[in-house]
Amino acid sequence: MHVRNKLGLAALGLGLGLGLSAWQTASADSSNPQHRVPRSSDGDVVIALCDGQTTLEVEGVKDPSSISREKAQAISDELMTAWRKKNPDARWDPPTRLVAQANPPRPPPASSAPVKAGGQTASSDPDEAARRAGANVQDGHTYGAFSARDEAIWKASAEQAVKEGHRVFHDAKTLGSTVAISCDMCHPDGSNTHPETYPKYQVQLGRVALLRDMINWCIENPVRGKPLAEDDPRMKAMEAYLYAQRKGVKLEYGKH
Amino acid sequence: MKAISFAGALTLATAAFAGDSGAPKLPLGLSPQLYQLTVPAPPTPAQVALGERLFNDKRLSADDSVSCATCHDPAKAFADGKPQAVGIKNQVGQRNSPTVLNALFLATQFWDGRAGTLEDQAKLPILNPIEMGMPSPEAVVAKVRAIPEYRDGFKQLNGREATYDDIASAIAAFERTALAGNSRFDRFIAGDSKALSAQEKRGWALFNGKARCNTCHAGNAISPLFSDQKFHNIGIAAHKQDFVQLATEALRIVRAGDEQQIDRLALETKFSELGRFLVTRKENDIGSFKTPTLRNIGVTGPYMHDGSLTTLWDVMDHYNKGGVPNPFLDGGMQRLGLTEPEIDELVAFMFALTSEDFQALEKKELARQRARKNNRPERDTAVAMGKKGHLGDLAPNPDIKNPAEMGLYGPIANPEK
Ligand code: HEC
Ligand code: HEC
Ligand code: HEC
Repeated sequence: MHVRNKLGLAALGLGLGLGLSAWQTASADSSNPQHRVPRSSDGDVVIALCDGQTTLEVEGVKDPSSISREKAQAISDELMTAWRKKNPDARWDPPTRLVAQANPPRPPPASSAPVKAGGQTASSDPDEAARRAGANVQDGHTYGAFSARDEAIWKASAEQAVKEGHRVFHDAKTLGSTVAISCDMCHPDGSNTHPETYPKYQVQLGRVALLRDMINWCIENPVRGKPLAEDDPRMKAMEAYLYAQRKGVKLEYGKH
Repeated sequence: MKAISFAGALTLATAAFAGDSGAPKLPLGLSPQLYQLTVPAPPTPAQVALGERLFNDKRLSADDSVSCATCHDPAKAFADGKPQAVGIKNQVGQRNSPTVLNALFLATQFWDGRAGTLEDQAKLPILNPIEMGMPSPEAVVAKVRAIPEYRDGFKQLNGREATYDDIASAIAAFERTALAGNSRFDRFIAGDSKALSAQEKRGWALFNGKARCNTCHAGNAISPLFSDQKFHNIGIAAHKQDFVQLATEALRIVRAGDEQQIDRLALETKFSELGRFLVTRKENDIGSFKTPTLRNIGVTGPYMHDGSLTTLWDVMDHYNKGGVPNPFLDGGMQRLGLTEPEIDELVAFMFALTSEDFQALEKKELARQRARKNNRPERDTAVAMGKKGHLGDLAPNPDIKNPAEMGLYGPIANPEK
């Protein structure tokens, strides 16, 4: 249907055993086949779906930058309706059946923060002081001497990554969309992205894909942005968000 | 759609928790979560005003010649630009003055963490004979009570005459307003891809990659200090000491938990080089010092606990050769095999951590350090590249590519737009 000119190349690379390293270091452009979108005869904007097949000509809209968030939502809904018609048996959770939610970030209140009120005094025994302060005082072990403060920082850091991912997923501008479409328009709360099923063979890509490959594929279409580098902070944040949304769901790589 | 996408519009959650936390508005890049974690209660304006006056008041010293600000000069990013601090009667101590900026976020105070809180910390320099030299807490209290502005100030604040604890609390309250963020790096992280030059971006990638700095100087949105707040022996003290001999001697002298004795040993004697060991008396802590923050590092040289490294190029030479070997060297230290352009990139990145307020100082410091670029006492390229020496570490891997060159940290060769 659509031309996927890089597909053969990518598959060949793996097949020849050019190897993992070639695969790992390949830039975002060459690791994903391109998703070519047909042109409209009237010069209207055409938007394609993540499945690599469904497309929609946006009647009368020639300038993608003129699309508002409301319009973008309408376009997404229309694409989804077309896709649902084509795939009546697809495993697509209705919006009411939401997936497990990650706990929202809740920073510890200042009152319970591991702050020492008095601190040590000239008369306090350092060993005793260390004990009182939890492991806060490093005691001969650089690595492993982790304090309540460290753990609070780790937890908040993970939640922050998830929160940032939530933002990116919902923000067409940060995603680099040229048509005002963001992921949440079809995947409310990250639903139906099934991160727990990766790695798996993705027909659209013609190869085994990681979650990030699929994210990039969707950024190209329908979001119409530039694919992100694997190590792009936005990519990492979105992966963090999508996995966090499935907290508690069984990992089942390769599942369709 | 969701409110959260507005809250995060500036990214990095800088503003996200401000509403429900009681944290003040923090400069770009600082973290309300860390503020909540480390500040028991935000200081009141009255405490801060009194504390600021005390911080800058030379009358807190024995001969009215030295204030906290003498060694932590607000105009010099709260440091003094000297290798080792100079106190009353021009007495030179063993250690370099760290910046007070962001000290409120530290897990412990001092290079060896001997004080647990800012309050605790503030009491020591006033009494140290070679810093501010006051003979006793009582003498400080008497002097402060006799100064009308302080007598009235403390009366108004606490409804009673000042105690030594009150004085320390006021100073600490002021220090909790000494915040540093808003650097070029922070603007870059907040989404302005042009805030950093290509060289600085490559430096940031090296920092997290080949140069392995993030092992100890980790920085992220929640803990943006570029410090793990742990203690490591990176071989600085090994420049001049036989550790085992020194530690054996010290064990006979150090009194358990006597913070004031440790303060004097650290600042006045050769035992300074034992670092964290003086506090814990644990062998593993010999010669280890707290990982310092790297914010404003470009303008707070000279470097290390003893001020022994003059420029950031010297610092890079030290790390490139895997530090100075000694029996207690941290396992995180290994030869890096950085090339000269890579060293320049890391230095450029570190200068990008300067807060906007100190831009003029940064220009001056960069020029000064650059002028010394060909004077490199710490450089040992043969060791750094693994051509000489057996440090027992992994040899540097010349094949490691800078991830930035592969475009992993965003567009570099052809910037967007
Ligand atoms: C216009 C609606 C729409 C938008 C916008 C959209 N998607 Fe999709 N997405 C779909 C549909 C439909 C599928 C199922 C395609 C299929 O199964 O062939 C899908 C599939 C996926 C999958 C694979 C799910 C699985 O079961 O393995 C991922 C991951 C995904 N999208 C992520 C995203 C991300 C990330 C964005 C934003 C960058 C995004 N999508 C934007 C409609 C959309
Ligand atoms: C004579 C110079 C001098 C004076 C005066 C001085 N300091 Fe310091 N300050 C230092 C040095 C040197 C250190 C590091 C000492 C050490 O770690 O052993 C230090 C450490 C600190 C630290 C710890 C920072 C960190 O990164 O761990 C704080 C906070 C601080 N001083 C605040 C103050 C305050 C408040 C005063 C006034 C009451 C003051 N200093 C007076 C030189 C001085
Ligand atoms: C093993 C942990 C560790 C690693 C890895 C590490 N550092 Fe450090 N760094 C420290 C410690 C500890 C100190 C203080 C040492 C001392 O004064 O004795 C320090 C000091 C510094 C200082 C001087 C700070 C000041 O205020 O004087 C700079 C600059 C610095 N490091 C930069 C770097 C860079 C750049 C890298 C990567 C090439 C790096 N560090 C890797 C632990 C580490």
